[in-house]
Amino acid sequence: MIRTTLGLALAATLFTAGAAGAQQITVYTAGPAGLAKNLAAGFEKKTGTKVSVFQATTGQIMARLAAEKANPQADVLISASWDTAVDMKAQDQLLAYESPNAKTVPAALKDKYYVAQGAAALAMIWNPKSGKPKPTDWSDLAKPAYKDAVTMPDPASSGSAYGMVSGLVSHPSYGWKTFEALKANGMIVPGANAQALNPVMQGAKAAVMGGVDYISLGAKAKGEAIEVIYPSSGTVLESRPAMILKTTKHVAESKQFMDYLLSDEGQKLVADTYLLPARTDVAAKRPGWKEIKLLDVGESTAQKRNETLAKFKTTMGLK
Amino acid sequence: MERQGGGVILGLSLAGLVVVVALPIFFVVLQAVFPHLTDSSFAAPFSAFATALADPRLPELFGNTLMLGLGVAAGCLLLALPLAVLRGMTDLPWGGLWDLLLLIPFMIPPYIGAFAWVLTLQPSGYSTQLLGFDAGAFLFSLPGIVVVMTLHLFPVVYFALSRTLAMIGRRFADVGRVSGASPFYAFWRITLPLSLPGLAASLLLVFALTIEEYGTPSALGKRSQFLVLVTSIEEKFAEWPIDLPGAAVLSLGLVVLALAAFLLQNWIATRRSYVAVSGKHGQMAMIELGRWRWAAVAFCAVVAGFAVVLPVGAVVLTAFSETLSGGLSWANMGLRHFESVFANETGAMDALVNSLWLAGVAAVGAGLLGSLAAYVTVRSQMRGRGLVDGLSILPNALPGMVIAVGLILAWNRSWWPFPVYNTPIVLLLAYICLLLPYPVRYVGAGLRQVGASLDAAARVSGAGMGRTMWKVLLPLIAPNLFVAMLLVFAIASRELVASIMLAPSGMPTVATYVFNQFSQGSPGEGMALSVLAIFSSTAILVALGALYKKTER
Repeated sequence: MIRTTLGLALAATLFTAGAAGAQQITVYTAGPAGLAKNLAAGFEKKTGTKVSVFQATTGQIMARLAAEKANPQADVLISASWDTAVDMKAQDQLLAYESPNAKTVPAALKDKYYVAQGAAALAMIWNPKSGKPKPTDWSDLAKPAYKDAVTMPDPASSGSAYGMVSGLVSHPSYGWKTFEALKANGMIVPGANAQALNPVMQGAKAAVMGGVDYISLGAKAKGEAIEVIYPSSGTVLESRPAMILKTTKHVAESKQFMDYLLSDEGQKLVADTYLLPARTDVAAKRPGWKEIKLLDVGESTAQKRNETLAKFKTTMGLK
Repeated sequence: MERQGGGVILGLSLAGLVVVVALPIFFVVLQAVFPHLTDSSFAAPFSAFATALADPRLPELFGNTLMLGLGVAAGCLLLALPLAVLRGMTDLPWGGLWDLLLLIPFMIPPYIGAFAWVLTLQPSGYSTQLLGFDAGAFLFSLPGIVVVMTLHLFPVVYFALSRTLAMIGRRFADVGRVSGASPFYAFWRITLPLSLPGLAASLLLVFALTIEEYGTPSALGKRSQFLVLVTSIEEKFAEWPIDLPGAAVLSLGLVVLALAAFLLQNWIATRRSYVAVSGKHGQMAMIELGRWRWAAVAFCAVVAGFAVVLPVGAVVLTAFSETLSGGLSWANMGLRHFESVFANETGAMDALVNSLWLAGVAAVGAGLLGSLAAYVTVRSQMRGRGLVDGLSILPNALPGMVIAVGLILAWNRSWWPFPVYNTPIVLLLAYICLLLPYPVRYVGAGLRQVGASLDAAARVSGAGMGRTMWKVLLPLIAPNLFVAMLLVFAIASRELVASIMLAPSGMPTVATYVFNQFSQGSPGEGMALSVLAIFSSTAILVALGALYKKTER
């Protein structure tokens, strides 16, 4: 006991000493896995400022931020869900900053308080070995050929899937009847993105309705037999906002980090993960701004979000 | 002299428990009562209770949680009792091998185990590819979840019970036999009742572990809409907007369930004396199985096959498969995922090293604190021992997520003179807190069987309190303590839920790494690191076990 206590005390002293040394900022970020590590390494090389990264799902990050409110730790936040940025701005938790590097980021993907790092589109992920016909539009997945063969990420745990649901239900040619038809056709909602994708990769199911595309593009590049199909009538883009928290004690370094995210180098690292870089003048490794047809989606609010999720649950027979 | 020694031990264990257990739980309760605590405001007390209790799903959540907990406890009893009897009381061949094999389930992270079962049994899964059948409908149902969790948790009962049975030995049963009882009657009326404290304690552990476990119910239950309290708590934590107060209130519900189970267990364990060792260990005579030997071995092999070989096999196959969609074929086998793990591109090796040393320190810490607490609970008559007992089992009822939030709320304050939050210390606190019940229960069950007359004899012979503990009690409880510390190591090395919340930024652990790989659609790399973690922690445990045997002689 005594030895442990001593050990812990010693460790504590070491950590305090470590933290007091070089400049350091803390970044909380949603996936992809290698990206945060590469960005941190690149930024440190360029500026000498260390970046301490916490990477998790958007939900886990938000839970950690909520629990840490009494003594906030994070300086910069990169979320996978646009709503989180809108909400945090409304709650006055963000520091205003417009990076000079954001000039070529489309206007819809930036604000005084946050800016997209990149974006992903929602797509149908199809397993060509499934023996099912290749789908071309969302509605194909509600056809008899796809009876009991479709999965969909839960919009409650996947911000991007929520974007698709709110986009499709507010669209005149879709609406809730689309999801009613999918439910009647035996579509399941097994969890977040990975839980929806894995059954399709192994062949237990044939297609994902509204899978986030960059994960599947990455898996495909590694040899998985899956195809990413953008529906002909249009899809939804989920942008990944980066923002500085108002509570930061490292304003200058955090701004530098935002600049780095949007620099040629930073955006190239983003492109390497098959995300769509936020800057339109940086080449993407995937279908880009011009190739993907987008549905017109209205602004989302917290109130609307709760209503949509509740309606989705009842429509899909979820508890 | 005696008073003083006892007081020091009570003080030490209470202080330890307050820091490790009471502090985070206190903050969770605060959060439940004062919803705006994170804004440092005490406004609107108890308002979160009304909202949470008005949830129409609540009765179902409680019912499902109870059903799952009881189902898994019953399953573990059915599976572990015959195994423990074979191992503890008979000359079953290769006893050490079964112990080793049955330790492995602990080292398979639950969510990876569940995922391995999904990959095996879902349509087009490994069973379809190899044997032409799938069992998806069964897997994604309550019975499926119970079976998967039972196969994962029954070793808790097996280890406690086989050790206890061995300790009781056949001496008592032999007395019964001499007095004319049949072997079955002697077991039923003498050996089994004497082993009740160990059995009850381990079943309580299983029940508590089941109701707080997140990985399996979330991976398997979601499709059949089988929701339990802990999945609902996690929803409140991880789905934007975050509802910390609601989650804290539901967690208190879990605590109530676990406390009820604890009281039941306590009643069984203390209503009479179970002292079985009142002197030197007698040479134990094992029941000879004779021609039943190989039937017994076959039984053990089948159980180990389902609990260990099958899930680990699925993990290994996935790790060696270049792609998941490529299926099981020689052309699709390769080392790509291992190469990527060893190259440490995404920090896999860092995660492995972190997890191993954290688990080692946690095992020592939990072992020390747990032994002290068990000693106070079982041996002393001091006031405050009930408090020690209750505090030491409480963490078992709390989901890792909740302990994690409690720890953040408690330690992420600027007024602490040295930082704890955002350092590895907070992870260690979480592991020790969550896993403390193992040493407390295992050591406690051992102490209950060592007669207090042994302490008295040592005292009369002039040994002080410390010397008595060190020279008399410790050697007698050492087997239990050792097993408990091994379990702590095994579980801490792959703990997921608290690690996600508490891992200092820039410090991945095995579980957080694997989880991230999964959620980014690269199960192969996650499985490759799982394979390394499962085998390296098994190797460490085997080495420790061998070392321990050597020093024991």
